[in-house]
Formats: sequence, structure tokens, C-alpha cells
Amino acid sequence: MLKILRLEFLFNRRQVLIVLAIFTAYFAYMVFRIDSPRVFVVSTSIMIGLAMPFTILGREDKFKTAALVCSLPMRRSTVVLGKYAATWAAIGLGLGYTLLLAAVFPFSKIQVAEILTARNLFVVLFLISLIFAVILPFTIRFGLVGIIILLVGFQLFGILALILSQVLGGANNPLRVFIRAVADGLRTLLTHEATPGFLLALLTVGVAVSAASLFVSRALYVRRDF
Amino acid sequence: MDNAIEIKGLRKEYKGFRLDDVTFDVPQGYIMGLIGPNGAGKTTVVKLIMNLIRRDAGEVRVFGLDNLRHEPEIKARIGFVYDVPRFPEDLRLETIASAVAAFYDKWDAARFMGLLEEFQLSPRKVFKKLSHGMKMKFSLAVALAHDADLILMDEPTAGLDPVFRFELLTKLRALIQDERKTVLFSSHITSDLERVADFVTFIHKGRVVFSAAKDEVLETWGVVRAAGDGFRPEDVPDARGFRRTENSLEVLTSDLAAARRAPLSGAVFDKASLEDIMFFIGKGNAHA
Repeated sequence: MLKILRLEFLFNRRQVLIVLAIFTAYFAYMVFRIDSPRVFVVSTSIMIGLAMPFTILGREDKFKTAALVCSLPMRRSTVVLGKYAATWAAIGLGLGYTLLLAAVFPFSKIQVAEILTARNLFVVLFLISLIFAVILPFTIRFGLVGIIILLVGFQLFGILALILSQVLGGANNPLRVFIRAVADGLRTLLTHEATPGFLLALLTVGVAVSAASLFVSRALYVRRDF
Repeated sequence: MDNAIEIKGLRKEYKGFRLDDVTFDVPQGYIMGLIGPNGAGKTTVVKLIMNLIRRDAGEVRVFGLDNLRHEPEIKARIGFVYDVPRFPEDLRLETIASAVAAFYDKWDAARFMGLLEEFQLSPRKVFKKLSHGMKMKFSLAVALAHDADLILMDEPTAGLDPVFRFELLTKLRALIQDERKTVLFSSHITSDLERVADFVTFIHKGRVVFSAAKDEVLETWGVVRAAGDGFRPEDVPDARGFRRTENSLEVLTSDLAAARRAPLSGAVFDKASLEDIMFFIGKGNAHA
């Protein structure tokens, strides 16, 4: 496991640093503009959570190094575990970097202490787990084409939802009720004060989603031909 | 004779291609060439041995172990060279080697550096700056640096200049002087195989045509030639393929001795080269 982590580090370290450098301007703008730790945490998690998997798995896709990795003496399940661990590590690095920026940037409106609360950290973990759960299996199985398939799928789903919402009409049709429920859930996640039970539920869902995603990714990767 | 690789009833189906019931053994301590025309299934066999693609049926045993159940143990003893090296293009050779080395307990850094020096490759060079030949040299250095018992190479000489091809083949020959080591390499360059291979497995359209000692093949297979209509292809014993031109007939046989004894008027007999065999079976009118 440590060997594959080391390999991913050596293969991707420069690109991860380049991505962070590119995002420096963005993060600097964020800490300058945003004064809500919650909004900062959510937007940063989504940004980092998307950028790092694209960077690491995109390079593998570009250079077709998956074939090299799979010819090394380890099982494919270890390879997948390594990818998850490497991407989490890169995300940790990215989040640490944004905190550093928030701390040292002279015009920052964000206080690091406000971000580093248990609740915010749980929200970060939860959001990244959700992003991972959707993105990684697609990318691991189909490469970057998988991401395109996923995005096109979301677009089509959105169009379909819009059409259905128009066709069904009325404020209380099932689709609008469902969307409202999701929106209320997210609002709860972002604005309500955390109780230990709420945080535990969040953590449980995050762990369950990650485990399911890892399980699916492993199953898909074992079936992949190189 | 112990076998480094045993393949039984191997099957893999793609759209428009089927590797069908492939069975052959690679004896330990020898060089086996896997030959066949483009698209015959050579790369598929190599990838199946490495478990880079999933088999539909059959069995692959390497050093007596199933290649799926004992994947890490087996791969630790294999030096693998891809037809197109799959390394991150923007990294230095030393970085790539450092990442890969950790996976092999028997990685010998001194030997690796020695090989780079021998191949005139600087470890600080970036991979994408290398020519195809140099990339293959680097792949070979990586494959040889961990004292692998089995060197598995897919079309290693394709696209290489004759000088490096000769160097590579000489290196492979030297490698098996240690009788523990085995080489299996696929190629459609038959002259390379004639130069170094001890055994040859010929694959055509996803099936094994023969798997035998190279010298035995070169001794027993032959081409029977005749001008005009002296005989028909089916008159030649063990005919495996033929080519008819306006004024002549050429028939490939897998039993040259029997062909010589047959009543074939005006026939001329020659031993077949691997290239003849590949041509007649691949391009000529093949006989079952």
C-alpha cells in the first residue's frame, strides 16, 4: 500500500503542485471575498475535491500508465486502494494549503479557527466523500471519458427533470417535492447547529458512501482490460 | 524439463477476434519466440499471462503457480517489456525507476545504473525526450534490474534499428546462460527469432499452429516448388499452405521428409524458413 502511494506521489507530485499554484489566485480571491467559513469550506471542498482526482487520474489516462501499474507485483484491488488514498492525500494537501492561505493572506476575511471546527471538518469529509463516490468509479473504469459521460449524464438528467417539472405542473408535484427535500437537506447541512447525533450520522453516511464507492471501483477495475 | 510457463485452453474473445484454445509451454532456461502476423493474437497472449486482460477460459501457470491467484508473487519474478513503453512522459528516468524499484525486493540499483550506462541513457533525462529505441532500452533496463527469472516482451524489436536489435538479441542470449532464466518474446520479425530463439510458437488467427523447438521446425518444414502443373497442393503430404503463380506452384509442408518420398514430378525441395512459414500460413492459401 505504501509502495503504490509512493509511486502515485512520485508520478504526480509536480502536477499537484502546479494545480495548487494555479488555484492560489482563486483561493486568495475566495479568502478576500468570502467571510462565511461555511461557504468557504463548501466551495473549497468542491473545488479541491474535483481538481485533485482529475489531476491524478487524468495523468494516468493521458500517459496510459495504468498498464504499467497493473504489471507491477500487486493486486488490482491494491491499485484501486492506492488511487483512493493518493487522491485523499492530495485533497488533504490542497485543503491544508487553502487554510495556510486563509491564515497568511493579509486581506483574508476568514479566520482559520472558524474553519477548523469539528462541524466544518465533517462537512468537508462528507462533501468530498460524495464527490469521490460519484467521480472515482467512473474515472477508474473509463478514464477521463468516464467524466465526460458522467457530466453529459447530469446534463441530460437536468434537462429531463426540467421538462418533467413543467409537464407535471403545480408546486406539489413529486419531482418538486423531491428537489425541495434535497435542498432542505443541504440547507440543514450548511446552516443548522451540529449535534453529536447529526455529526455521527454525517460521518456514517460519508464512510458508507466511500466504502460503497471503493467496492464498486474495485469491481470495475478488476474487469478492465489494458 | 521444467516449464516456466504453462498455458492450457486459453480463450479470449473481442469483437471481431477470438483467441481460441491456446495451449503451449515455455521451458525454463530457454528463449521462446511467439510469432505470427499482425493481429494473430500474440499481444493478447502476453497480456493474458500478465493478467492485463481478463481471460474467458483456460489456465495460465507461471513457475507452477496460477497467474491470477498468485499474481503479486509471479509478477515479482517477471521483467515485462511493453511494445509501447507506458511510463509518465514528463518524468526523469531516475524518478520513474525510483517509483518502480520499491515494488521489487531484488531491485539492484547498481545493475540498473550499469544498464543505463551501457545503453547510454542519462538517468536525468526526461522520458519524452527519448527516441523509440531509447525508450525500449529504458524499458529493458527496468525489466532486467530486478533479477527477473522470466523476461516477457511484447514486440520488443519492432521499430528498432538493426544495431540495437542485434544488441538486444545478444543480451537476451547472454541472459539465459544462467539456466534459471527464461525469455518469451513476441515478434513478427522472424529473422530475430531465427537468430536467438530455442523454441517457437506460431499463432495465426488466434490459434496455435505449432509450438516446437526452432531447429526441429526448420528441419522438418519445407517448401515444395514446381513449374507448371506437375502436381496439386493436396498431393504434397502434410501440406499447410500453398501459393500458385501463373507458371509455378509452391507448397508449404510440415513434413519435408515425407514430401521428398512422395511421387511429385518435377518438384524441388527446400527447407522452410520461419518467414516462409509465416507467409504461407498467413498470406498464402492455408491448408488445415
